[in-house]
Amino acid sequence: MSDIYDLVKRYPWLPSLKTYYSDIALKNPLDFISEIFSSNKSKALESRVLNLFNDVFDNIEHLSEYELDEINIYVYLILKILLYIINDKILSNRIANIYSKTTYNELNKENEYSLYYIYQDLNLKVIYEEQPFVYKKFVVKDQKEIFKTNFKISFLDYLKLASNLKDEYRKLVNNALLQGYVYIKPENINRLLQEHVRKKLLIQNNEVSSDFEKFKERLFEIHEFKKLYTTITKIWESKKEEFEYSIDITFKEGKDYSGILPPCIKEILSKAQEGQNLVHTERLFILWFLNSLKYPEDKIINVFSTLPDFDREKTAYQVKYAMKKGYTPYSCKSLKSYNLCFANEYKDPICLEGYYSRMQDEQKFISHPLKYIEVKEYRDSKKLKKTKNQSQDQK
Amino acid sequence: MKSFEYLKRRFKEYYKDNKEKIPLVSLFDQREFGFIPWDQQIRMIRHMGFATRDNLIKHLINNGPRHVYSSGSLYLNPENKDMKNKSYLGCDIIIDIDVDHFYTPCKEDHDIWYCKECGKNGKGMVEKCPNCKKSKLKKLNWICEKCLNVAKKEIIKLVYDFLIPDFNIDIEKMKIAFSGHRGYHLKIEDNDLRTLSSDERREIIDYITGEGISYEILGLRKMGDNIFGFSRETIGWSQKINRKIEEILKKTNIEIETQLSDKRTFNLNKNFIENLLNYKNNFLNIIESDNMNNWTLVNSNLNTWYKFLGAIVEEIGIEVDVPVAIDIHRLIRYPGSLHGKTGFKVQELNPNDLDDFNPLDEQTEKLDPIVFVSKVQTIQKLEIIESDVPATKIKGETFGPYKLGDKIEIPHHIAVFLLCKGVAKSI
Repeated sequence: MSDIYDLVKRYPWLPSLKTYYSDIALKNPLDFISEIFSSNKSKALESRVLNLFNDVFDNIEHLSEYELDEINIYVYLILKILLYIINDKILSNRIANIYSKTTYNELNKENEYSLYYIYQDLNLKVIYEEQPFVYKKFVVKDQKEIFKTNFKISFLDYLKLASNLKDEYRKLVNNALLQGYVYIKPENINRLLQEHVRKKLLIQNNEVSSDFEKFKERLFEIHEFKKLYTTITKIWESKKEEFEYSIDITFKEGKDYSGILPPCIKEILSKAQEGQNLVHTERLFILWFLNSLKYPEDKIINVFSTLPDFDREKTAYQVKYAMKKGYTPYSCKSLKSYNLCFANEYKDPICLEGYYSRMQDEQKFISHPLKYIEVKEYRDSKKLKKTKNQSQDQK
Repeated sequence: MKSFEYLKRRFKEYYKDNKEKIPLVSLFDQREFGFIPWDQQIRMIRHMGFATRDNLIKHLINNGPRHVYSSGSLYLNPENKDMKNKSYLGCDIIIDIDVDHFYTPCKEDHDIWYCKECGKNGKGMVEKCPNCKKSKLKKLNWICEKCLNVAKKEIIKLVYDFLIPDFNIDIEKMKIAFSGHRGYHLKIEDNDLRTLSSDERREIIDYITGEGISYEILGLRKMGDNIFGFSRETIGWSQKINRKIEEILKKTNIEIETQLSDKRTFNLNKNFIENLLNYKNNFLNIIESDNMNNWTLVNSNLNTWYKFLGAIVEEIGIEVDVPVAIDIHRLIRYPGSLHGKTGFKVQELNPNDLDDFNPLDEQTEKLDPIVFVSKVQTIQKLEIIESDVPATKIKGETFGPYKLGDKIEIPHHIAVFLLCKGVAKSI
């Protein structure tokens, strides 16, 4: 079993950081940056932080370097300061995702005793029972799948960690709740902790106040820090566009379809782009939708690559399976029932007012997002034709 | 207006005569209070706070409000008019069960609707006019022992099937009250639970209503032509579903057929019911076994199972007013206060009292919500001002039904009830 000092090195987001490394954690950020960049750890630290950002810029799904030493604590603290002053939501989401995913993988390597200490340190009401408890059993023909665990977590702590995920696997109603505790395997608690860590690194877009600017200026007085900041932001500026447009729908080479997507799809894509978690129904819908547009397999997989729990192998399997089955995406009615219709939020006239059907000589409502694309494309082509004619007339 | 003045006077008298009996809710000075006065135009006066119970009682005696509410939330400054400046400290869990929100067969006898658009009228629970499909309906919702009993059963189910076994909530922390009209409230006063956000509260409500259940996650599988169901060893909802199926299968064939063909609930087709009945004993063995769960029935597909399980989940889940439960700034009726739509008292109850409690004919005096029963049988004269007023059975006696213009002589407590309901005027 690791002692708590080692655990904090591995997981610097643990509350014990303030107790066991109070000399670092409780320091004023300016003093902290100043001291660390004038110490002999400076070079190693700069290199690790830069590597971490480069992993994100290269769209790598796991950190290529995650050393479990004391510098790891500095990396985490500097990361928080850097993300705060860079003040870019997309970048912070990307960093938060890759960092938390690495945390999840590391947590899954821990033994049960260390995990128990980690949960206790987070003040989670988790109980470890000596005898594993059977909480779920599937019997299909002669095959039995038995789910056992030594861990249970109080439903209150479970809700605090899981309700944000809005994932049907993590909904309380689909879990084993008994006498105030949810019976759960440690890897599933770790997945919840991944989200906890992700949230710790996320930034809201900060209001650029004079205090914020002053703080930044003071930090920039530390030459090495400014150099690191400039290197990172310079690369980010050149790569940013690539990230912002990395999930556009271009299912016919060279043609940009992003302008004709219905609000339901736009909303899911924008969530994915920000690296937010998608619920199961959102994932299925986007997958079936893109597949209906004959979107290439690798591009569909890439849409999911920004999600916090992305696993390329698993996603590839699921995408392949869905493509083979050729499911039709949800209709507007189903989308409404799943709370995935965003017609009102986007005030979209096609969704809200419908379209005129010449065949049936009546105004009709959109009943399927694929119909939306058809109508939108038709209208856009009409508009284009009109503009062309007008410009020809003017000539 | 004359009726309102009369009722206001009676309400003031009640608060004056019962000032010692009005309970003190916990953390009283941290709660926001709200009142609806006896005005023609309904308006709520809220953002009020009271430092002591005496101050509240004085307010009630002086104003005799039509409805009295206090918040489930706790605030540092409950009287601050700006929600942001109230300094929110947490909120009790509040679960409201009101027969207004779900179907009971007795509504076909006593709930009356009138369509303002086409003039059609009828009885029962309708959302839209069955004739013109418009929703401009005037409704007169009534109460009877049957529907109040349904609401009571829901609250008992909530406590004993969910809150205690699944959530391990201490019964001492549960405050149950008859709302004074068509339902019950349950409040959980627990410091840890008070910290839950709206999203987290929704998860609890989804659990007790069965919303968002995934049968696949619980173990329903289709393999070739076979359908495999849940194991009784799987903790949580699958166990509840298995138990309910077992309970249904143990009924007689006629009872099963009636239940499963009911249009309002299961509405299953004849073939499925017939196959289920033919296979009943085998199916019971499977449900009761730890090692078998082949639920395949002749001619049954996954969709029929979804329909069947959906109705089972409806039967098990609790009919809850969801917005009340997830809103952390809601006000709920103050215990011991009077409900302006009935004149009945909001009656606090111990969970142990629930089984025998009968709000319309309660035998235990201190639990009796009907407070305007006069010891000397005072008779009051009223004139009916609604076209149809359903029969009302209170204290074992039935009054009505009445028609517009009927002049009636009735005991005092019935008069208060009809005046509060707005279907009669004093003459």
